[in-house]
Amino acid sequence: MTDTQLTRASTAAELTIATPEGVLFRLPLAGPASRLYAMLLDTAIVLGTVNGVGLLVYWIFSKAPGFGLMVITLAEFAIGFAYSALLEGLWNGQTIGKRLFHLRVIDQDGLPLRIEQAWVRNLMRVVDALPFAYLVGGLSVLSSPIMQRFGDRVAGTLVVRQTPVAAPVEEFWMQQKYNSFMDYPVIAMKLRRSATPELATLIQDALRRRNELAAYARREIYRELATYLQSEISPFPDELVEKLSDEQYLINASGILFGDQRRSRVQG
Amino acid sequence: MILDLERFQAQARPRWRDLESLLASLESRPDRLLNLAEAEQLQELYAQTAADLNRVAHGALAHELRQYLERLVARAYAELYYALPMRSEIWQPHRWLRIFTVFPETFRRHSRYFALAVSITLLGCAFGGLAVRYDPASVDVLLPADYLRNPGQRVHEEEQGLGRHLDSAQTEAAFSAQLIRHNIQVALLAAALGVTFGIGTALLLFENGVLLGAVAVHYTQRGFGLFMTAWLLPHGVFEIPSILIAGQAGFYLARLLLRRREDRDVRQSMREWLVLVAGLAMMLVWAGVMEAFFSQHHAPVLPYGFKVAVAAAELVLLTIYLLMIGRREIDTEMRSSVPSENR
Repeated sequence: MTDTQLTRASTAAELTIATPEGVLFRLPLAGPASRLYAMLLDTAIVLGTVNGVGLLVYWIFSKAPGFGLMVITLAEFAIGFAYSALLEGLWNGQTIGKRLFHLRVIDQDGLPLRIEQAWVRNLMRVVDALPFAYLVGGLSVLSSPIMQRFGDRVAGTLVVRQTPVAAPVEEFWMQQKYNSFMDYPVIAMKLRRSATPELATLIQDALRRRNELAAYARREIYRELATYLQSEISPFPDELVEKLSDEQYLINASGILFGDQRRSRVQG
Repeated sequence: MILDLERFQAQARPRWRDLESLLASLESRPDRLLNLAEAEQLQELYAQTAADLNRVAHGALAHELRQYLERLVARAYAELYYALPMRSEIWQPHRWLRIFTVFPETFRRHSRYFALAVSITLLGCAFGGLAVRYDPASVDVLLPADYLRNPGQRVHEEEQGLGRHLDSAQTEAAFSAQLIRHNIQVALLAAALGVTFGIGTALLLFENGVLLGAVAVHYTQRGFGLFMTAWLLPHGVFEIPSILIAGQAGFYLARLLLRRREDRDVRQSMREWLVLVAGLAMMLVWAGVMEAFFSQHHAPVLPYGFKVAVAAAELVLLTIYLLMIGRREIDTEMRSSVPSENR
């Protein structure tokens, strides 16, 4: 059911899950750095809580400091172990730190983690924290193809990155009714055939970020892209290109690259 | 660039939105239960979205779209294939109380690992004891703490109440908490070091055994056998078995990791491991209380015979608990129903 074949992209590792329906999807794995930050934040929260509890206990047991110390010692110990395990168990694999850093612990089959997994992976911290500063756990993460520390290996869990992804919106340049490039189907097909996916994405990104770019930067970038397309990929007739702004040129090119193929064919 | 992305997105966007809102409403429900119509809808939308994902999966053109669809499919997949435990199952106190019967049952089920832990500890004891017996100089190496090396002085101090700060119940309380914490940490480490295929667990148990054997022989040689028994056993009868159970949990984990992946019942095994750890933690709480409040009081206050008698009574109770409580027939049941267990 699970396919642990990995594709290591330049930036991050990912886990590919093959569902019984024969669909593959990838889960981006969390690297050691973001996990460390989340853990530091969680540690700070635990320390804060423990100190808060400690002050309260100290105040309640001010007549009996020995018992106060006992309560504090045990509470500190219990909170230290239970914080991550309880939160991950109840919050679908997230602690406060993990939530803020968009991390989530899941079962390595791509399912939500179960409560006993949350406890096992967090109790195993005593090994991962050896000999100091999570050295064992860190080495385990770096040597594991799916970035598991020992606790994760035993519990069968892993940590994924879950940065929010917005639903795709319809782009404004896709809505134009008439695309003058379609009058030249041969050149349009040449553009469609020889533009690499990277180039197509670049054009799309340039258009999408239209309003984030300063005016001069936009002019410069659009001019560069349009010149490149015109000279290297798809030489549309000069009398057409002269009438178009660089931006309109890119909008048309994008329409050819991403748009409805049939329309151009009918017109051709 | 075969796919007509514009048309494709326009057609498919409504079903992606439907799936998204269905998932959002599901994830906001505490019990995550579906009614029949929703289940059918989820199944259908999942299948359609998964097919959409397959269409855009090849080619870097629709990178963001692919990411979005992957996220959507992953969420739907998790909802479809995961049976969440009922909340009512988690929040029932009598289920939590079952740990008191499940713990001895689990202990008995995996008694071979306990036997292994006992033998390694005994080996350590023999090593430590024989070393001290035949090479008194080894005491300096084997017993790290100064107080363990000079039993006479230590016994004198203890009996006089010198060097002892345990004057009140207060300090004893604080002391017991520290003991509980320290012991649980050590025991947990022994149980967790099963990931080193049991090597770490074995070393820890062996070291513990060496220490025990060396102290026992050293004190007995100097004629403080009774004092030592009365000093160590009232808490030791719980502390030592709990470390042995930690070793048992460690070896159980090691055995699990050495199994072939398909033979592992990870879910069940993790529960068993957790039960053992929880049980030994409870034992260590008692041991910590006894060590702080009882063991540290010596002859004039508490006669040694009484202390040893208490220790013996504790041991009997613990043995009865571990061997008799819970279902008895579970051993044979498990063996006959799970033959792979004995491989």
